[in-house]
Amino acid sequence: MAQYDLTSRIGQHLDRHLIFPLLEFLTEKELYPTEDLLKAKYELLSQTKMIDYSNQVYRQIHNLTEDDENEPGYADRRDLALKRFNELQDETAEIMNMIQDPNVIQQLKQDKIANVQFLKDNFGFQPEMLTSLYNFAMYNFAVGFYQGAAEMLYHFRILSTDYEQNLSALWGKLAAEILSLNWETALDDLNKLKELIDQRTFGSQLLALQQRTWLIHWSLFVFFNHPKGRDGIIDLFFQPQYLNTIQTACPWVLRYLTTAVITNKKRRNMLKDLVKIIQQESYKYKDPITEFVECLYVNFDFDGAQVKLRECEEVLFNDFFLVATREDFIENARLFIFETYCRIHQCIDIKALSEKLNMDEVEGEKWIVNLIRNARMDAKIDAKTNTVIMGTQYQSVHQQVIERTRGLSFRSSLLASNIEKREQELANRRKGPRNQRQQQSGAKDAEVAAPKEVEAKA
Amino acid sequence: MSRFFRGGSDSESESESDFSGSEDEKPQKTADASDSEDDFDNDESEDSEDEADAGAAGGAATGAGRFKRGAAASDSDESSDEEDVKRVVKSARDKQFDEMRATVKALGNAKKINDWVAIQNEFTKLNTLYGKATAIIQREGGKPPRFYIRALTQLEDHLKDTLANKEATKKMNKSSSSALTVMKQKLKKHNKTFEKEIEEFRAKPVEEDESDAERTAAARKAAAEESDDEENKDPRSKWTRGAADSDSEEEESAPKKGGKAKKARAVEEGEAGGDGFTLIGKGGKAFEATPETLFKKLRELLEARGKKSTDKVTQMANLRKLFEIAGNPFQKIKVLLVLIPSRFDFTPATTGFMSVDIWRSTLAEINELYAILEENQHLTITDVHNDEAEEASDEIKANKGEPVQVTGNLGSFVDRIDDEFTKSLQNIDPHTIEYINRLRDETGLYAIIVRAQKYFEKLNAKEYSDLTKMRRVERLYYKPDAVVKKVETEVRTLYPALNEVLEEPAELVAHLCTSLYNMEVVDRIRTRALLCHVYHLALHDRFHEARELILMSHLQEHAPQTDIQTQILYNRTMVQLGLCAFRCGMVREAANALQEISASGKVKELLAQGVQAQRYSEKTPEQEKLEKQRQLPFHMHINLELLECVYLTCSMLLEIPNMAANAHDSRRKVISKPFRRMLDYNERQVFTGPPENTRDHIMGAAKALANGEWQTCRDLIHKIKIWDLMPNADKIKEMLTQKIQQEGLRTYFFTYSPYYDSLGLEQLSSMFELPIPVVYSTVSKMIINEELHASLDQPTNTVILHRPGPGTEMSRLEYLAGVYSEKLQNF
Repeated sequence: MAQYDLTSRIGQHLDRHLIFPLLEFLTEKELYPTEDLLKAKYELLSQTKMIDYSNQVYRQIHNLTEDDENEPGYADRRDLALKRFNELQDETAEIMNMIQDPNVIQQLKQDKIANVQFLKDNFGFQPEMLTSLYNFAMYNFAVGFYQGAAEMLYHFRILSTDYEQNLSALWGKLAAEILSLNWETALDDLNKLKELIDQRTFGSQLLALQQRTWLIHWSLFVFFNHPKGRDGIIDLFFQPQYLNTIQTACPWVLRYLTTAVITNKKRRNMLKDLVKIIQQESYKYKDPITEFVECLYVNFDFDGAQVKLRECEEVLFNDFFLVATREDFIENARLFIFETYCRIHQCIDIKALSEKLNMDEVEGEKWIVNLIRNARMDAKIDAKTNTVIMGTQYQSVHQQVIERTRGLSFRSSLLASNIEKREQELANRRKGPRNQRQQQSGAKDAEVAAPKEVEAKA
Repeated sequence: MSRFFRGGSDSESESESDFSGSEDEKPQKTADASDSEDDFDNDESEDSEDEADAGAAGGAATGAGRFKRGAAASDSDESSDEEDVKRVVKSARDKQFDEMRATVKALGNAKKINDWVAIQNEFTKLNTLYGKATAIIQREGGKPPRFYIRALTQLEDHLKDTLANKEATKKMNKSSSSALTVMKQKLKKHNKTFEKEIEEFRAKPVEEDESDAERTAAARKAAAEESDDEENKDPRSKWTRGAADSDSEEEESAPKKGGKAKKARAVEEGEAGGDGFTLIGKGGKAFEATPETLFKKLRELLEARGKKSTDKVTQMANLRKLFEIAGNPFQKIKVLLVLIPSRFDFTPATTGFMSVDIWRSTLAEINELYAILEENQHLTITDVHNDEAEEASDEIKANKGEPVQVTGNLGSFVDRIDDEFTKSLQNIDPHTIEYINRLRDETGLYAIIVRAQKYFEKLNAKEYSDLTKMRRVERLYYKPDAVVKKVETEVRTLYPALNEVLEEPAELVAHLCTSLYNMEVVDRIRTRALLCHVYHLALHDRFHEARELILMSHLQEHAPQTDIQTQILYNRTMVQLGLCAFRCGMVREAANALQEISASGKVKELLAQGVQAQRYSEKTPEQEKLEKQRQLPFHMHINLELLECVYLTCSMLLEIPNMAANAHDSRRKVISKPFRRMLDYNERQVFTGPPENTRDHIMGAAKALANGEWQTCRDLIHKIKIWDLMPNADKIKEMLTQKIQQEGLRTYFFTYSPYYDSLGLEQLSSMFELPIPVVYSTVSKMIINEELHASLDQPTNTVILHRPGPGTEMSRLEYLAGVYSEKLQNF
């Protein structure tokens, strides 16, 4: 299953810290040798300030069990990091006190510049303090103290007017929120970030593409954990600029998009667009999930779809983001198969169908019966031959014509009344301003008359 | 009588009317003349500019002093010759000569104070006077007066002295120094006419004994008179030459000349030019002191460039010689910078392109130029104008190895030679060996382009390196891999210094093109690079990448706004993309890509592969000419017959099921108009013979497909010979068979479904020789798309067809009722 693993591709577009959960997950699934994963983790950690964690991994790699056996230079680095942390804390103590004071918070307004001025006047605020706050927040993040970092960045964003730093702070905050599992705020931040990126005209298209790619990858964390995420992912990714980004920079995201569409009952209409995109990109990227859709909706190869569905199960099981959706996905995929099948067939053998749905016969029959009951389907089961018989939906030409012309009489009467109204208006105008009052009342009468007619028809 | 004749022929010289010059004055003049004739020295090795006769100059100076006195004779202030004045009633001749003498004197004075502006004025005046006096001179034997020659000689010597004294030259003020340069050129030109006389004068600077002269003159007089008729022409032409020379500088008297004189002049001018150049040509000796005189010669030739009188061939030959003589790199560059453009100038108007030999030598010279530049990194060529006067100092600097900039445009040479190559290919008949031989030269050209690109890259001249890169891509993009590879390896032998890694052709093109996508690159180049890239990708059957590239660039919207060349390239790219899609088996995509161009009926023009004769075309000759210039060389052409064949086949595969589906109203949804038209035409024919050409084959196949006879259709399509031109022809035929089977199945359903209640999948699969899953998927697709009112019955594996009544087809009336109600609804 390792060939369908996307961690390495996704990892390119994530922050160092965001990769840890993915690696943890992989270790659990045992797709790769544990040792390799540990090494990778250690590589990642060596660039951060999470020295204790790094040491722990180091010891795991080298099978060190004694308490005093540590990573070389561990103590020094640890002391240094602590010292730096304390320094920064001292630097920012003042501003943190200032900002967290409820009295101050009450007096802050929307206008950033006014706020800064206000703080300057009343509390001896210095612009340098803001910079040190930013640095401290970064350091907090690097150390792995995400909640603190998020909080500080929140305060920083209230006061800072520097666009670049603001953007970077927002990215940092999003990462911190994700890592501290605050999905609600993370979603807010995500939306803010999206707005910020969309508003801004980047110097080069490439930069915009990069930012969007990041956003897409980071958003996966939020969308697959937030309860409303599956709507959000469809809404976001189907926006033209994000769709383009996916197509050009990261086609593998199609897996997540496809899963989201299949598991989402409300956004069925997106399926057609999705099929088109999958077809277009099929030369660039394919995995069991996209192939499943292709089999079902492009080739109508139900046997193929069923094979793919089995593969999908496994892939989903091994995907960090999609594990939770597995049940949903399977259920909905079955539904899709069944629906399509019904549309094509008049008479279906339950046994064959159950096979296609990856179920045994009895379970299949139950499932179908439930479906017929719930989905108001025009179908019946013939118990003798063990088949499902679909009601034919075909209409004769006469019926079609009658159906189509049904609305016509109402529409023509409406048209006639409108014409009458116009005629009358014109006639009144010709009579001249003398009878203006009369004309007005006449018009009102006509207006009243029209809705009545509508009711009558309805 | 000859005098009369002369008078008639010359309307200008006023002295002509009065030719009653006193006979006694004449002899002296004639004596001078005959003397010179006696001393005529054939050896011209002593160049007029030779420094060797400094002594002679001294002698001339004394002579001049003496003569000056003589010249002053006309001056009444001068006492010594007062008698003469009194004695002689001034004839026209004397008047003329006196005036000239006065000018000579003024010239002498100006010389003394080194006032070059004055010298220039006086010199011009003197020449005008001389021109006026020519008639008289000719009458007297055709030799210019001795004092005149003396003045010229002295002036020349003086000029040389001044030039030799560089410091003095530098000190001069601007007007004076510019006058000096003007004089230098003028005098040189002028003196060429009088070379012989000056030569004589130098040989015998001292005036001969008067009486002696007289005697000789008397003896000669008779002879002179006798040969008057023959001589008449010669001296006159000599005069004309003088006049012409002064003309070319002053160009004031020219229009006044009579017809005959003009004719003579034209001839003479040519000769004069020829003379001048033969002199240089003859004179390996003239270049003995080359390093000094080289620039002078060069400038001379440069000035002659573009003039009507200049013979381009000799000029090129001379420049070539100059190049051989040139000693140091700086000089070489200078000469090459003149030589190469003059080669380009030499394009005969009749053929409209450079002759192959000249093209080759030009190529070699450009190569040399680059070689010199690569060796001498301190020399750079810029198109910023430099002051020419600094040449000498620049040369010194260049020799020392300091950075020097030379004026010139290096990039344009490459552009030009490339264009000339294309032009020659356009004009050579592509079916001759000549064309193939010409094509062989492309490698050399390509090498030059690569070389230039590397050179510019080294110089960091972004603009030019982009341009040359583009040229390179344009030489590569349409070639198959094998050719590109060959060319690239050839280049490495031609230009060993190239340190580029030998890439795979596809990578090379991709690499070159991507480097041009930068925002800084000019828009046109970027567009063209992209199109070439797409074309190349399409050539390699990489349809998806090619399509993605063209879609991302949004070129389709901008294409109509680009220049015509780019539009042609765009059309070519689209066609290639279509062919590529076809090869990949994507019929619909192929048809879409080809639709616009193939359906236009102007394929040839759109692809610039020839002009189509149109019945009602109203083109001006200029338009036609322009169109001709745009034509692509034959080897770049896309096979039009293949294109048509592909387009029609795609149309058939799409159109036939479409027609069957809309049987009631076939006019409604037309995919390919030209195909429909052809099919109609084919059907109207009373008798259809066996198919002969590609089109007939496809039409026959289409009819067979419509009738559900897919085997006949397949056979007909396979019979088309042109498929063999495609790479992997067998695979393409296989693909076509498959498509025909599928479309045949669809057509069958559309046409015959009303007559069936149910159809077995197995039966269908055996009918069309398709595997069951494919039949199944095709039918399912039709059902889902609501093209077919049917459903599948799984237990029996049949297709059940739904229909309104028992066993009837939908009538036309019913169909129309449906359409009508639909339209009403949308009303």
